[in-house]
Amino acid sequence: MMAAVGASTSAMAKGGFLHSRAGSFLGRNWAACFLVAMVVVFSVTGRGFLSIPYFQNILHLSTMAILLAAAETFVIVTGGIDLSVGYIVGFSSVCSAQLMLRFQSAGLPPGACMVLGALGALALCLVPGVANGLVITRLKVPPFIATLGMGGIMNGLTLLWCQGFPVQGLPGPVSSIGNSYLLYIDPGKSLSFFSKPDYIPDSRIREILRLLPNSLIFLALVVLVLWFLLRRTRFGRHTYAIGGNMDAALRAGINVDAHIVKIYALSALLAGLGGAFNVFQTGIGNYTTFSSLYEFMAVAAVVIGGASLTGGKGRLAASIIGVLVLKVLESGLSISGVPPFYRYIAVGVLLTLAVIIDQLFPELTEKGGTA
Amino acid sequence: VNPARTATGGAPAFARSIGRGLGKRWVLVFLLLEITVFGLIAPGFFRYETIQLVLFYGTLVFLLATAELFVIVTGNGAIDLSVGYIVGFSSVVSSKLMAALVAAGWAPLAAIAVACAATLAIGLVPGLVNGLLVAYLKVPPFIATFSMLGAAHGVSLLLTKGVYVTDVPQLAGDIGSGHFLYIAPGGLVSFFRAPIVERGTAVAAIVPNIVVLAFAFIAVFAFVLKRTRFGQHLYAIGGSRDAASRSGIDVKRRLVSVYMLSSFLASLGGIVYVLMYVSGKSDAGSSLLIQAIAAVVIGGASMFGGSGTVWRTILGCLVIAVLETGLRIAAVPTYYTYVLVGAILIMAVVLEKLMPDPNR
Repeated sequence: MMAAVGASTSAMAKGGFLHSRAGSFLGRNWAACFLVAMVVVFSVTGRGFLSIPYFQNILHLSTMAILLAAAETFVIVTGGIDLSVGYIVGFSSVCSAQLMLRFQSAGLPPGACMVLGALGALALCLVPGVANGLVITRLKVPPFIATLGMGGIMNGLTLLWCQGFPVQGLPGPVSSIGNSYLLYIDPGKSLSFFSKPDYIPDSRIREILRLLPNSLIFLALVVLVLWFLLRRTRFGRHTYAIGGNMDAALRAGINVDAHIVKIYALSALLAGLGGAFNVFQTGIGNYTTFSSLYEFMAVAAVVIGGASLTGGKGRLAASIIGVLVLKVLESGLSISGVPPFYRYIAVGVLLTLAVIIDQLFPELTEKGGTA
Repeated sequence: VNPARTATGGAPAFARSIGRGLGKRWVLVFLLLEITVFGLIAPGFFRYETIQLVLFYGTLVFLLATAELFVIVTGNGAIDLSVGYIVGFSSVVSSKLMAALVAAGWAPLAAIAVACAATLAIGLVPGLVNGLLVAYLKVPPFIATFSMLGAAHGVSLLLTKGVYVTDVPQLAGDIGSGHFLYIAPGGLVSFFRAPIVERGTAVAAIVPNIVVLAFAFIAVFAFVLKRTRFGQHLYAIGGSRDAASRSGIDVKRRLVSVYMLSSFLASLGGIVYVLMYVSGKSDAGSSLLIQAIAAVVIGGASMFGGSGTVWRTILGCLVIAVLETGLRIAAVPTYYTYVLVGAILIMAVVLEKLMPDPNR
């Protein structure tokens, strides 16, 4: 440790640490390094932090944040911003819950209610997304204003539909789907899929090993598809091209307007997915409160992941690391007994640091984030 | 209006001159339209009290929108997302200070005055940090001020432990609900204090105190932006940062001042909140950010900087405040306000582009 510090200070004396291999690795991956360091620290300070159930729980509770960060990554790479995602989450939650109730009272079986309710909500969420895209491309309204306005509209519509109260009384299996695991292992005795073995009462559920929450499998699938979309398809290349230089993208024959509409539709769809899945996790359809700040947290995660708000730069994996940095910080502080108020301050400090660190490595910025 | 240009052509020129006449005044037309519609659908809308209601409940947005305007004028992505939570922060700080000073045996009026002065001074700190981050460390304003939002929220939760501050002296509430001028029948006029009259006598209360307080500051800010060199520098910075800096304007120091002014007005908003609601609350202004930005944009300021005036921004605020009050009087669920503000926000930018600028 001492030797490493000594080496780095001497390298800095030459003015070269930032450009050395170790320095540029740190610069490029500081969020991941910080994440690892936090896990180490919290493992010491927080009892029960270093355990599979705890990590699974962090991921489980990050599902929506990761979906929103993924949405925001696509938008930010094009050089835009989507401030409506937070309220689209609430809209989607309330919408899918209301639809489920309607289908339930129409006499449909619970399974059909849930699937149709969630799909219906997702379809409706495309409307604000496409509207965002059209307002930005056709009416030339800056994305900040267009999506801020759309957020307000969705917030009002959501509150009108649920009258300011969470939607309750959903079909029974809803919350068990969102909160169960792929594998239930009672070591040496039994192994079962998707539901706990019958001989274990609810009160002893913590004594058996539960692996791979459904939320994680769902999330992994979505993220895999999105990663493929952003990195391996023409759609993804066009996304980076538009954010890097819109003129060049236009001259290269990319239909920029159509692409941007698709990007905002995708963003709203992912927010809708987050909202619908939230219904499965909580068992209610809840609206988004003013102080939840989902959209800003998502932007924060993307920026911590190294994306630039000016576009052309950003990686899906890095954004997810950004979310995890925020979530591990939050839960690690609380398990270590730090009052929850500090996490707001910590997030602010971290976010500002992220940008300042990024500026220390201008050569990374110039090369762009596709490396 | 340029008469030489309006005189070219026949009927289309007439249409064009109407368009140009409306030009940037569409907000005024829209406001009149709103008032007409509410006059028709909301019984009892056309009363003197409505004006006071609009002003009273609009005060916080007036202050925050003015704050936001100063920041937005400087352009280049300048925005202050922290104003809403600075309202909460300063409402907590000022109410805590008032309570502490009163508990220490101070007279309520002195306690309130000192607490407010101290809060306004403390309220400069978040702005100073925002400004330093934006100007010197080149952190994008969106990120810097969002970080400050988190910090302000965290600190005020820390101070309150998550509960409201309610032990505010009664006098604060009296000031907040009081009016500047009272007129009793028989020519009895009194300032600040309701005159002592027989029970049942109607006393006209004119202009709430907090509105007077807010507009005293807003007038000073309007003067600063329009008539001082500092204000002209802000427009210059918003127009072109490079040009401003080459013509010898100390851009960095100006930016720091702008964010400090913004958080100063937001702190004043926090004090107004305490006077209005006789409590301090950590998320007092969290719903106001969108309204403040919307008012600035409806008032015709460009998000890219270099344009916008305080009075147009106030007009933008009035569009929102009249809407909110009108809907309330018409007994329509207030949730419609969110929908309509969002829609008007987007429409404002579109109309601004369609309408020709009369000054150009």
